[in-house]
Amino acid sequence: MNDTFNLTRFGLLLKKSVLERAMQIIGLMVFVLCFTLMAYSIFLYIGGWGMAQNLSFIWGFVGGGTFMASIVFSYFNTNAGGSAYLTFPASALEKWLCGVLITGVFFCLIFFSFYRLIDYCFVTAYHNGLDRSSPLYQRMYNSVNLFSFEGNIVRQSTILFVNFAGAMLVGSLYFNKVAIVKVALVVCGVIAVVYFLNLAVAGILFNNIDIAFPYYTVLIKVGSEVGNVELPPRAGAVADAFLQYILPATLWITAYIRLREKEI
Amino acid sequence: MIRFNNLSFGYSRKKLLYKNLTLSIESGSIYGLLGKNGAGKSTLLKNMVGTLFPVEGSVTINGMEPKSRKPSFLQTIYYIAEDVYVPALTIKQYQNLFAPFYPLFNKDNFYKYLLEMEVSVDGKLNKLSFGQQKKFVIAFALACNTRVLLMDEPTNGLDIPSKAQFRKLIASVMNEDRIIFISTHQIRDLENMIDKVMIVDNGNLLLHSSIADIAEKLCFKTVAAIPTNVKVLYAEKMLRGTSVIIENVDGEDSALNLEHLFNGITENPTMAKQLFPIK
Repeated sequence: MNDTFNLTRFGLLLKKSVLERAMQIIGLMVFVLCFTLMAYSIFLYIGGWGMAQNLSFIWGFVGGGTFMASIVFSYFNTNAGGSAYLTFPASALEKWLCGVLITGVFFCLIFFSFYRLIDYCFVTAYHNGLDRSSPLYQRMYNSVNLFSFEGNIVRQSTILFVNFAGAMLVGSLYFNKVAIVKVALVVCGVIAVVYFLNLAVAGILFNNIDIAFPYYTVLIKVGSEVGNVELPPRAGAVADAFLQYILPATLWITAYIRLREKEI
Repeated sequence: MIRFNNLSFGYSRKKLLYKNLTLSIESGSIYGLLGKNGAGKSTLLKNMVGTLFPVEGSVTINGMEPKSRKPSFLQTIYYIAEDVYVPALTIKQYQNLFAPFYPLFNKDNFYKYLLEMEVSVDGKLNKLSFGQQKKFVIAFALACNTRVLLMDEPTNGLDIPSKAQFRKLIASVMNEDRIIFISTHQIRDLENMIDKVMIVDNGNLLLHSSIADIAEKLCFKTVAAIPTNVKVLYAEKMLRGTSVIIENVDGEDSALNLEHLFNGITENPTMAKQLFPIK
């Protein structure tokens, strides 16, 4: 018997992992999709297309994905649940892969497909509702397009998703109870520390610092003018690599190591 | 066979609960693991199943190390925690999803055990009462036919008829290749069921002996006055005299009283160790 990975066993485990907590996993997925649809509609009503497409995508994808990550390993709320999970005859790699697949693959595939569908419906309805005889028709038609999955919003959201979801996976294996709240507090704490540290460092290097959020936003205000301090290209590339690959990979792999070493 | 080799365990490295515990547990026995609340019973079971790791030393079960939690090991052991975990599934769904992971699972026996334990098979498991959930988990664990079965306070939450049914079932599933380990502080629930006893207190193993050996070395009886010519392990005043546990110097047959034995061993560990040296 292969004690590290067995495809049949993994298939059975994946089926068990989803169906055992169908209300939690499938229910949350449905909730996220409904929330995204509602957010799209509300933001469209109050703020127009740009706000509707961007904000509903960010909240649905990053927020929903983070929630999903918080429940895939949420067996440890009770001693019995944790023991049953840890002593279930599957390897740590298979259990971890189930979590990764549910959060990182299934959630993303379903969310992106659903988002494309609702976006297509809204945009098509808008295009069909335009008066073709109007002289502004072409301009109005072209002003609203399908949300691009290759744009900066999706790129930034994906970075946030992989980092927050990774933190939640690790956190739910460290904190047995109300992991989502505890991880959120830890993440907020870390961001606050990093912000103020960055502000202090930026304050040593420059005068008139306005905002010094790490990496993307270091603003200097002189009078009413505001300037953006950009990282040198090489430092920017290092920071990019850290946020896009190194940090998320570390978090997701740490979840595997933690699962192997988890005691209850 | 379960082997503890110089096992030390503590929730903090500075304060160890178990220190250099070495012992062997043979197959073919039903073990009663007795101890007060917080004595370390569950900790010992968790070290055996691999949900807690020894600080030093090792545990091996049939040559495998629980700590690594390999599937080939986990499918040979079933651990029932004190609180039960059941998902929102029907019994059939549970069986379809969980049973394939246990190669020796026997479906017919599973339903037979459920029937014997009078577990309602309709509706979802999480809607059952705690006692019914516990009986369901016990039935499933027994049907898995694992070589090692560890149960932490299995009779908690069971009504009186269910406790009797539980004892019957455990006796019926026992065979030469199996080890059944039952940890409890409800000592009377184990009477007439176990054939080996382990008593732990504050992480110390005070007794590890067979029922036959205990009956051979100790005599349980009620007397008008405490005898002075023999070693007395335990004495408790009752309505009709004094119930005592004394050294069985005359080879008398007597009915074992686990509760008194437990009290005697925990109150008088030095004498217990003289009578039953830990191997």
